Amino acid sequence: MSLLRVRGLTKEFGDLVAVDDVDFDVEDGEFVSILGPSGSGKSTVLRMVAGFEEPTEGEIALDDVGIVGSPPFERDVNMVFQDLALFPHLTVAENIGYGLKQSGVPADERRERTEDMLEMVRLEGYGDRTPSELSGGEQQRVALARALVNEPALVLFDEPLSSLDRKLRQHMQGELQRIQLETDTTFLYVTHDQEVALAVSDRLVVLDDGRIQQVGTVEELYEAPESRFVADFIGDVNAVEGRVTAVEDDGIAINTGDEAVTVPRTTAEEVAVDDAVDVCIRPFQVRVESADADGSDADAPADTDGTFSTTGVVRSRSYQGSDSQYGIETDRWGRLSAEVRSASFEIDDRVTVAWDAADVHVYRRDGDGSPGGDGGS
Amino acid sequence: MPESPSSTDEPADGSGDELATDGGSTAGVDGRMSGLTTYLRERPRLRTLAIAGPPYGILVLFFAIPLLAMLVVSFQADQIGGAWTLHNYTDFLTSETYLTVVWRTFLISVQVTAIVAAVGYALAYSIVRFSRRTTLLLLLVILPFWTSYIIRMYAWINILQSDGVLDSLLDLAGLPALGLLYTDTAVLIGFTYVWLPLAVLPFYASLTNLDGDLIEASKDLGAGPIRTFLSVTLPMTINGVVTGIVLVFIPTFGSFITPRLLGGTNNIMIGMVIENQFKSAFNWPFGAAIGMVISVVVVALLVVAMRLGGGLFGAGGETA
Repeated sequence: MSLLRVRGLTKEFGDLVAVDDVDFDVEDGEFVSILGPSGSGKSTVLRMVAGFEEPTEGEIALDDVGIVGSPPFERDVNMVFQDLALFPHLTVAENIGYGLKQSGVPADERRERTEDMLEMVRLEGYGDRTPSELSGGEQQRVALARALVNEPALVLFDEPLSSLDRKLRQHMQGELQRIQLETDTTFLYVTHDQEVALAVSDRLVVLDDGRIQQVGTVEELYEAPESRFVADFIGDVNAVEGRVTAVEDDGIAINTGDEAVTVPRTTAEEVAVDDAVDVCIRPFQVRVESADADGSDADAPADTDGTFSTTGVVRSRSYQGSDSQYGIETDRWGRLSAEVRSASFEIDDRVTVAWDAADVHVYRRDGDGSPGGDGGS
Repeated sequence: MPESPSSTDEPADGSGDELATDGGSTAGVDGRMSGLTTYLRERPRLRTLAIAGPPYGILVLFFAIPLLAMLVVSFQADQIGGAWTLHNYTDFLTSETYLTVVWRTFLISVQVTAIVAAVGYALAYSIVRFSRRTTLLLLLVILPFWTSYIIRMYAWINILQSDGVLDSLLDLAGLPALGLLYTDTAVLIGFTYVWLPLAVLPFYASLTNLDGDLIEASKDLGAGPIRTFLSVTLPMTINGVVTGIVLVFIPTFGSFITPRLLGGTNNIMIGMVIENQFKSAFNWPFGAAIGMVISVVVVALLVVAMRLGGGLFGAGGETA
């Protein structure tokens, strides 16, 4: 039995369908992120779970009890708001104790649990300050403590880390994971930031245009994205245009220029002969080697034995610590990016570029798979 | 550097280094204004005086001097220029009749303020939270200000008097007539009607500044609507509430037209007594003394009220 069960959840605002028939589950103790571009409906899903919006259709069950229709103050969930929404007229301790006070916890127990929670988020001794006296990161901790102290079945997060700078955000990600494990609480986290989502989540729900694109673990989404949108949205990807020339039992032949390459069937969506497709490859799976300076390899055929390869010229490089990211203008497929470890090329170097057919993902080009939302959330 | 801000035929590029970037297009009025700006920028004291002078001048001329004059007059016997005396104060403060009137005035003012605050807050809240036509509704709230106070009071006489509009409507509905004119109720109705906009505007301003997320956070943490109102909405808007209360309480305490027109002969308020001293009894010093006492009482009441309000809700109302 799942802790949170969402089935057929739909929300319409007038003619706009913000959330369209969404199904997903959150298991007890999980850290699940809903990831999507702005306007994808992810915050609306969260607000329906919290009780601030009523679904147009569908059901939400917490611990197997339907909660649609019950007001937010009766739901066993607590939310960490995007702008935190700390009460400016109350002290840090009063903010944290607010929920306990509402549920009638006596004052001394309230004080004790507030103190414990301040310790948990490493803000001992901050209880008497007001929120405006704290830094952004400290305010995040107070907001988290205010939600956690009530020991809710589920804590909801509406992109609370988005206002922090990168370093602090990474630190808070680690803190979130630590606190989630220590308190053994279930977290449902909404974000547009794939970096945050990948870093903290057990599982991801990828949402676009109100519809679920894919649900799975971080590894599943990264290694086996079911759509071009997911491939693009979770990590970087190179796409090479091609056309299906044959569909066999053991593979699909795809012509990406003048030669067909056979890729394993397992990597592809359902495709038919003559479909226009994108052949997608992650930059870290692209191999780059020095080519002869005279460019004699330029017309090397794309191997049909399971390798894509071409030649090209290095146009950009950016150093990223353990590896370097190169932008390579290829002779066959336009500009591609490659992440290379322990090899160094200069701008204008001629290189050969190759990758294994086994690593690619193939998606039909039917126009609506590209990432990027329309309109704000 | 031009010494005079009014050097009209000074070419723009000659009116100061700061203006060099303005190029040749700056001339005439622009050049003159910039010249004045430059002139004042170099003389910070003069600039402070130029900015702060007029408002202070107005305050001194129309507030401080008249108040002082009243204070002086209140210590004179019988008429302006009379002998110095404390009689005006002792007479007033030892008269049970007058003190009863003050007490009555206080009670009416508290009632009016309470009614206006409650109705005004509900009105402002519904405009902010439930309405899309905010501008139109606010316009309707302040619309009565376009009509003279006196005329509106006469309209209320028309409505409230025996066989007036209200009684006629009640009659049509088969209900007994009320004949409200010249009662305390009529005075309360008149005051509530007149002061409501004064309270709605500051209430509205503070409520629009209230972050809706705070309301949601409160509900999320288990507080129902009433708890949320008392522990978040009200404390966060307490500054607007206090402003509205002050704006209503002060003019009610000193009012004399509304009670005269709508109230009966035994509904005397202290403002009427003061007016009477100046206009009928021609005892200006006594009127001035009552005025001074009432001013002190009202200010003292408000200071106490604000302290209490602040204490109840902590740092309250610092809506960012």
